[in-house]
Amino acid sequence: MREITLRVNGRDEHAVVEGRTTLAEVLRDHLGLTGTHLGCEHGVCGACTVAVDGQPVRSCLMLAMQAEGAIVETVESLGDGDGLGLIQQAMWERHAFQCAFCAPGFLMTVRCLLADNPTPTTAQIKEELSGNLCRCTGYASILEGVAEAVAKLASAAGGANDA
Amino acid sequence: MREQIMGRFVGARVRRVEDRRLLSGRGRYVDDVVVPDMAHAAFVRSPWPHALIRGIDTTRAAAVPGVYAIFTGPDIAAITNPLMGMLALPGLYDPWHWALAVDRVRLVGDPVAIVVATSRAVAEDAAEMVDVEYEELEPIATLAHAHDPSRPAIWPKANGNVVYAASESFGDVDAAFAGADRVISETFRQHRHANQPMETRGTVAEIDADGNLTLHAAHQAAHVLKWCMAMCLARQPVWMSVRDMFRQREQTKAIFAGAREFVRAHPTMMKDTQQMMAIMLRQIARDPMRMVHLNRALLGLMATPKERLPRVVTGDIGGAFGSKMTVLREDIALCAAALRLGRSIKWIEDRNENLVLGGQARDEQVAVEAAVMNDGTVRGLRAKLTMDAGAYPGFPYAAPMFCRFIQTMFPGPYRFDAMQFDIEVVSSNKPTYGAYRGPWAVETWVRERLFDVIARELGISRAEIRVRNIVGPDMLPTTMVTGPTLDVRMSAKTTLERALEVADFEHWAEHQAASREQGRRLGLGIATYIEAAPGPPGFIDAVMPGFSAFAGAEPIHAVLEGDGSVTVHTRQVPHGQGHETTLAQVAADELGVPIESVRVRYGDTNFAPFGIAGTGGSLSAAMAGGAVGVAAHTLREHIVDIAADLLEASPADIVIEDGDIHVAGVPTMSRTFREVAEEAMRRGVVGNTDRLGRGEAIRVHRDWNGGEGGWAQSTHVCWVEVDLETGQVRIPRYAVVEDCGEMINPAIVEGQIRGGVAQGVGAVLYEKTTYGEDGQPRSGTFMDYLIPTTMEIPEIEIHHIETPTDIAYNYRGVGEGGMIGAPAAITNAVEDALADLGVRITEQHLPPTRILELAGVIPERTDR
Amino acid sequence: MKMSPFDYHRPDTVDEAVALLETYGGDGKVLAGGQSLLPVLALRLTHLGHLIDIGRVQGLQSIEVDDDGTVSVGATVTHARVERSDVMAAAAPAVAGAMPHVGHRAIRSRGTVCGSLAHADPAAELPAVALAVGAEMIVRGPAGQRTMGAGDFFEGYLSSALGEDELLVGVRFPAWAPRAGWSVLEVSRRHGDFALVGLVTTLEIDEAGLLRRPALSLFGVASTPVRVAEAEQLLDGNAPDPALFAEAAKVVSGALEARADDHASSEYRAHVAGVLTRRGLAEAAARATERAGV
Repeated sequence: MREITLRVNGRDEHAVVEGRTTLAEVLRDHLGLTGTHLGCEHGVCGACTVAVDGQPVRSCLMLAMQAEGAIVETVESLGDGDGLGLIQQAMWERHAFQCAFCAPGFLMTVRCLLADNPTPTTAQIKEELSGNLCRCTGYASILEGVAEAVAKLASAAGGANDA
Repeated sequence: MREQIMGRFVGARVRRVEDRRLLSGRGRYVDDVVVPDMAHAAFVRSPWPHALIRGIDTTRAAAVPGVYAIFTGPDIAAITNPLMGMLALPGLYDPWHWALAVDRVRLVGDPVAIVVATSRAVAEDAAEMVDVEYEELEPIATLAHAHDPSRPAIWPKANGNVVYAASESFGDVDAAFAGADRVISETFRQHRHANQPMETRGTVAEIDADGNLTLHAAHQAAHVLKWCMAMCLARQPVWMSVRDMFRQREQTKAIFAGAREFVRAHPTMMKDTQQMMAIMLRQIARDPMRMVHLNRALLGLMATPKERLPRVVTGDIGGAFGSKMTVLREDIALCAAALRLGRSIKWIEDRNENLVLGGQARDEQVAVEAAVMNDGTVRGLRAKLTMDAGAYPGFPYAAPMFCRFIQTMFPGPYRFDAMQFDIEVVSSNKPTYGAYRGPWAVETWVRERLFDVIARELGISRAEIRVRNIVGPDMLPTTMVTGPTLDVRMSAKTTLERALEVADFEHWAEHQAASREQGRRLGLGIATYIEAAPGPPGFIDAVMPGFSAFAGAEPIHAVLEGDGSVTVHTRQVPHGQGHETTLAQVAADELGVPIESVRVRYGDTNFAPFGIAGTGGSLSAAMAGGAVGVAAHTLREHIVDIAADLLEASPADIVIEDGDIHVAGVPTMSRTFREVAEEAMRRGVVGNTDRLGRGEAIRVHRDWNGGEGGWAQSTHVCWVEVDLETGQVRIPRYAVVEDCGEMINPAIVEGQIRGGVAQGVGAVLYEKTTYGEDGQPRSGTFMDYLIPTTMEIPEIEIHHIETPTDIAYNYRGVGEGGMIGAPAAITNAVEDALADLGVRITEQHLPPTRILELAGVIPERTDR
Repeated sequence: MKMSPFDYHRPDTVDEAVALLETYGGDGKVLAGGQSLLPVLALRLTHLGHLIDIGRVQGLQSIEVDDDGTVSVGATVTHARVERSDVMAAAAPAVAGAMPHVGHRAIRSRGTVCGSLAHADPAAELPAVALAVGAEMIVRGPAGQRTMGAGDFFEGYLSSALGEDELLVGVRFPAWAPRAGWSVLEVSRRHGDFALVGLVTTLEIDEAGLLRRPALSLFGVASTPVRVAEAEQLLDGNAPDPALFAEAAKVVSGALEARADDHASSEYRAHVAGVLTRRGLAEAAARATERAGV
């Protein structure tokens, strides 16, 4: 057992973890950030995707210890005060999700994508999102949500900062 | 948010109310539930598909630090009642069984013990240390095994490994075949695959300070879970139950009074269920212990004080597609353990468990003969359905019920003079065959495949054979050969005709040939079907005689709260369907209020109206939509009456617009909903229920029996391109032409259709629950069970048709349709792409290896 | 599924890491990206007493090109870094070109090139690339440092020649020839899945327009990546053209005793290996021609 510190959603957080504690577990169980979901725990479904040092990471495939000292962002960081952030708003408007269990993973994947490339093509969007599984929607509505987010980003002055 | 079309929410793409919390990561799924002092459970599971349990030693495991307790099969069997199926069908053997395996395991993963510990990780550590001694038996892993008398029967009291057999005949089958120009026969095999929602199953069994149980569940039917759990947990000697019933005389009297009332309200019930009684008695004769358990369980249930009954609470649910409708053995063991320990316990199924044991379906074979005329008319059918239901029957209902649906729906929207249908359900050492989105879908797959096969044999077009046999508007109303009525709104033929236009079918052959010249191998497939969503009045009785008495109508409680807001209580349990929005749309329109003023509540058995069903069967829009409509309508009448009094006007002169109640033409003479509510509270009970909750002003309970009901119908068109170098199949285009009546929310309808089609694509090209001949599951991770990604799902065009009508609440269901039509359209397209090679597709799973084998590019594999 | 318990170690230097491996090697494994190891642990397919996280070991994070064009990639360089690296694109294009096939973006954020090599999954791209180009593995153990050619490194299914007490500290890719071309092709069930059959093709076209040093390195077909020497010999010294490629393809399908599993039969793999050979040779030859023309 060891105490680690990591920066989560802009705050320094401490947790006492075992070797085998994953980043997903420390977020959900220790820090109460249950927005990040566990869909498979073996790194295929993408529901647990968070951003670590700006990159998309499957939090079930990262040990908490490995994340010590890292900057982690979860779906809870996407909001705009009490309201929806740009990506969330776009998804809402386009009826992107149904059961929404996969949504946090998709939202973080999209957040990382748009931070890296605010003007992806449709093909690029599809490819980037191919590592996140959804069982309800058949994906079309999610892709439309991303397109809407891209459009909103383009029209917002100042570009892609806090999506 | 506030979108409306012509002042109405119904019909508009209203943005979902629930998204605010779900997109913020503030959803409350069952794994997010944390209660004080919560322990965690893991199960010890059998590594063998079929074995006797010779011994179980928990000493090593119990010594692991952090373990609270371990309960084995016999431990749980001593404190619970077994699971007993509630279906009584002639020819059905429904074996009762314990929550945990006691003396025998019947599939890989069969739970043998439950470990309760401080964390899931510790529980799993300890579970690995439970020593179980198994004596292996020969597994039943295929249909051939199931029919092999030399292999041990899984349920020795069944008829070998056949748990259900039935045969029914409609019309004059012999005449149809005698008069046919020819008989065309084929056997089709659909493969087992799995629901696989992104959220697995799981429950938190919370024990409060008084020792009462609340289940935080991800379950589609909260009351079903409650009562089934109550029955299984009500375990005590019969004499004690009788004593308690005597001591709780008031409650006991009320139970009997309720039963009498129920019988009185359903006068034909006794006659309808007479048959069932005989069947149940025969089942008991086969296995007298059934009677013992049934008695003990029912008496135990009746003796349970009302306050001690478990409560079920559902939060947000991450999809189900039918896999969260039954009561799991694990849940029963979990709750029994929690009650015994006096401590709350969480169990969340992990993905490996869900893949090995979770919802699986579609494991059936249909051998069919068609009595065909040379002009393509199909006079009659003979079909033999063989279904592999796995080892344990579902609880409270199981696979044989789906067989009845398949039988009833087999004719689809086509005209047949006669049909013979034989059913055989076998047991195997595999997971329970459960409900999966359109459980009866094999009827469409086989029938639509058959039409293509017949068309090719006769040399007529696949469009023409359908047009020739389909029931058109000029023939309506009529009945299916299996009984249910096809009403004048049944527009399957219209969807077919439109689909043929969309497909430009008449030029398809040329187009296909031209593409072939350019080196592209294209195929086109069509499939037409109807779905009983909700079906005509009395539909369910055609499927299961006498069932409608139990199925009941759809209840809604509509409440005007003290603060003027409106709450709608439903027994529906949304898990992606958006009921918090769609039902609010209907209510808001009826009441004339903004949609934000309506809140939809569900999932808590303390509040939700009772029903033996929850959400499933593509019924929520039709049934709950209609029920909300009538309940809100009645609520509005009460509100208008009170407002009229307050405004000293006649109710006929009152209008409600955007939440403002005023005299027509005099906007200044108005009252708010809040004012009406306060007046109602001053007056005492208003509405037709005696149960006014705290802070409620008016409460109305209305039931909806589906009204005129109706069919949902659709024709799917699929284009494929087959690469004969790699066997890969691409879908360059896919179109759905559908008529589901009036749409409450088109965005939600379209989402459901696309989701269903995506699962159809998955089934044909990617998904298969694979078992070895040794009974070992081979698709236990997402590396092997392949769910399609963004790259595999085509763009899906949707063409809506709405057949005009005056019927109120003309909503038909779409939840399942996508998954019913897609496998047929896709396999028909693949066969079309390979037709020049003489390929006939009789199986539904077509991965690259199979495509190349069928096309003769590579020899068939011999290793399995 | 939760992993069984283990002790977590985080050495700062290679020497410390090797010392830990020496002590715990039998019951421990190196953790770099964890994208292959952690799922195995999560599924409890393996129980390890110790994980040695080399994520912060000094000196393993670089991508360097020598004067002679040899590219060295340190053990903790991620796929994502390679994917974005202009240096890699220029100096080791076959490696960079494999990257889009490797899993999905989130996997590439954490997974490492050396991790993939050490994991030795025969259906993975990088071992096949290493085999095609003749990469050298740089291994450090208690006895010191040694190098191993890719041909000797991959021993079997998930099994490399690394000793229990040895650490793969880096990989060296030989200089990319001026007239060389490459191709990485694979057929998988879904996008991003491990290959059913994959082929890395590298070759050069000399000044006379003839093929030189062709390498056909298949993945997904056997328990290690495999080169098809017979087909390579057929190609070497001949003019690149579709007929030659088709012949080579036939040799490849004929020579291959491919594995069978639930996702593809051995007949399928052998057949598709031939198809990819034809396509891969064409693609690599086109790239070589383009590069030579520049």
